[in-house]
Amino acid sequence: MIKDKIEKLLLQVKTPSRYIGGELNSVVKDKSKVDLRFAFCFPDTYEIGMSHLGMKILYSLTNMRENFWCERVFAPDVDFEKLMRENGIPLYGLESLEPIKDFDFIGFTIQFEMCYTNILNMLDLAGVPLKAKDRTELSPIVVAGGPCVCNPEPLADFIDIFIIGEGEEVNLELYDLYVEMKKRGASKREFLEAAAGIEGIYVPAFYDVTYDDGGRVKTIEPNSPCANPIVRKRIIKDMDKVFYPESFVVPYCEIVHDRAIVEVLRGCIRGCRFCQAGYIYRPFREKCTDTICAETKNLCESTGYEEVSLSSLSTSDLSDIENTLEKLSEYTEKERINLSLPSMRLDRFSKELMEQIQKVRKSGLTFAPEAGTQRLRDVINKNITEDEIFRACRLAFSGGYSAVKLYFMMGLPTETDDDIRGIADLAVRIADLYYQMPDRPKGRGIQISISCATFVPKPFTPFEFEPQASEEEIKHKQDILLTALKGKRYINVSWSKYKVSVLEAVLARGDRRLGSVIYDAWKSGCRFDGWDEHYNYDVWRSAFEKNGLDMNFYACRKREFDELFPWDFLDYYVSKQFLVRENKTAHEGVTTPNCREKCSGCGVSKCIGGPCFG
Amino acid sequence: MDEKYAVRGVFEKKGRAVFISHLDLFRTMQRAMKRSGIPVWYSQGFNPRIYLNFPLALSLGVEGCAEIMDFEITERQPFDEMLGALNNVLPDGLRFLSMAEPIGTNKDIALAEYEFDFSADNLSGEDIAAGFEKMMLLEKIEVEKHSKKKGTVLVDIKPHIKVILSECLGGNFRATVVLPAGMELNINSNVFNDAFLKYSGINNLKISTKRTKIMKNNGEIFA
Repeated sequence: MIKDKIEKLLLQVKTPSRYIGGELNSVVKDKSKVDLRFAFCFPDTYEIGMSHLGMKILYSLTNMRENFWCERVFAPDVDFEKLMRENGIPLYGLESLEPIKDFDFIGFTIQFEMCYTNILNMLDLAGVPLKAKDRTELSPIVVAGGPCVCNPEPLADFIDIFIIGEGEEVNLELYDLYVEMKKRGASKREFLEAAAGIEGIYVPAFYDVTYDDGGRVKTIEPNSPCANPIVRKRIIKDMDKVFYPESFVVPYCEIVHDRAIVEVLRGCIRGCRFCQAGYIYRPFREKCTDTICAETKNLCESTGYEEVSLSSLSTSDLSDIENTLEKLSEYTEKERINLSLPSMRLDRFSKELMEQIQKVRKSGLTFAPEAGTQRLRDVINKNITEDEIFRACRLAFSGGYSAVKLYFMMGLPTETDDDIRGIADLAVRIADLYYQMPDRPKGRGIQISISCATFVPKPFTPFEFEPQASEEEIKHKQDILLTALKGKRYINVSWSKYKVSVLEAVLARGDRRLGSVIYDAWKSGCRFDGWDEHYNYDVWRSAFEKNGLDMNFYACRKREFDELFPWDFLDYYVSKQFLVRENKTAHEGVTTPNCREKCSGCGVSKCIGGPCFG
Repeated sequence: MDEKYAVRGVFEKKGRAVFISHLDLFRTMQRAMKRSGIPVWYSQGFNPRIYLNFPLALSLGVEGCAEIMDFEITERQPFDEMLGALNNVLPDGLRFLSMAEPIGTNKDIALAEYEFDFSADNLSGEDIAAGFEKMMLLEKIEVEKHSKKKGTVLVDIKPHIKVILSECLGGNFRATVVLPAGMELNINSNVFNDAFLKYSGINNLKISTKRTKIMKNNGEIFA
């Protein structure tokens, strides 16, 4: 039994409670009484995966059905992976401690491009052939969903089925189909053909892709009559009726987001042109105050968490936010539960909101102006003015804050040296403001942290046509920023590593040919590529060279508006004409109002059969 | 200041729960308290927290048969009701055995009893017993102890080891041993195990450790 084997090894590894299961609220069923076993794999460590809301939702949703059993699986850390391989322990589910290769489904949620080698590594640890074509039996079927599958092509070799869009309905439809066909003794091929008929299901084996002489995609065409030329994503219509877990599995060890999480809305009205989430999760749908309060109470009571966070892409855009917070705090204050509000927009930051956040415990303040000048903020459609930034800082300083974190991007389209100097200038003026305020915190100097990420152009955004800045350009920009900040010891600055961002950019807009690159990189030892201590750029580069592919072709090439992209057969409700229009508007430096103010005609309302608001 | 009443709980930590570290146990118990609805007292100050006290930490991987957790309540409640409420919401492997008003203070803890089960591939219980005899016949059993003040020092633990029982069970050798515990002098079960590995001359020894009692200086159970 795996349990006996791992118990003997666990004291040799870091944080062993990650590998043994048995946490509160984890679901254990009798395997002889279920029709379908699902291994829900998160291709990163336990601490990251256990913080992920989507996994919690789909875990509970699947287990609500008596005849399905969903278990959790995370990527073992390198120390435990080594012991697993040495001792012949296959990857197992945390609930049953049984090998997942015997399950009906192995499913991955893909949140981040840099986890692709972890997916291969987990399949290998499970003892399952990596390539879809080498898995000929009906089970296990390998499926994948999550934001990264809006361009699934780099993983097309390895995955049997991609689930496009939101999973709450389509997953259950897929499992029911499987159970029915398994009972009939169907083959894998027969099941995949039937599955391809479900809206939101993409079976990569049923499509052929051709390329032109320049390496660009020429055609994407179905090779089977059961495959749709266009695969449309799935969405949930009513957020107040959609399934939400009444409990979370409560981990023993500390995880990244160790608290109750209530999702308050989906989609985003803002249309920031760099932000993929702002487009692929449209339309905007929100929960009402009563739903949010009930879900908060359920979760806090079943988990014992003393912190709840209201989660979404932009929580301050909840239309009833003041009322929601007031109603919620009646409960949270009485129960001494800390209310945390991530993803607050700086233009919606108010004294009342700040007081709400501070009531129980005070946390740090982070604002995301994203660009240093108004011109560039208009290009990216951030729709935040300098006045709003200063107003928010003034409120924070008189509320007792003396440290502010500012997020920016570098390498944005149309960015000039002046825009970079604007970042330094903005930080310095925020500090000046602090010292001019008579009611600033007494006896404390200001601390400003500037964090700069390299801009990564993503599919389904108006910037999907844009080149990523080259390493030399980014280096030049970093030098300018450092020069501009010289002698300002109260400002510290950090940035993401270019060599990581460039691979992210390649994988984000890659095509099917990258499958063999990912395979070779994994074979040469790559995993946990999102972790600085494990990332090995040189190995990746040789994998590209070996396959005759150029990273710059994918990352740093400007695309024409009429180019066929690898993901263009997927319908995420947002039309390509709209993205082209937004790209042109960006280059003119003109902003687009948010969806509540004015419909920008992105194509979503056509798909949902009416306006998003009103 | 509001009234509060001290409660001492005795609990076991077994099975998968032995892999919960001391810090994680603290959080796990706080959350269980919260779920149980027991009117537990919160520490005062800027960050009020559910107040819990574990007077004797248990090493990761060691099973506990009678561990101690102290807490305070703001309203009196029957002990068996609280016991039931807490056990209802605890994860697998953690279970309270009793709750009562504390008699002694933490300073009274002086000794702890452990049950060590040793086994090794290709060795019988008798072989391991011989290694144990060999160690116990030494004049000194010196182990390295690390402390912040003094750095690493050699300490002779022999005078502090009290063997209650040693027996061969199947292929295993079991030793029941009392070691000093608490504020005056503390010898962790791992220190004892390290000494055995060092002096018995047996490689690849498999050890499973259980703490069976927490006691006062006179050998009475701490309560």
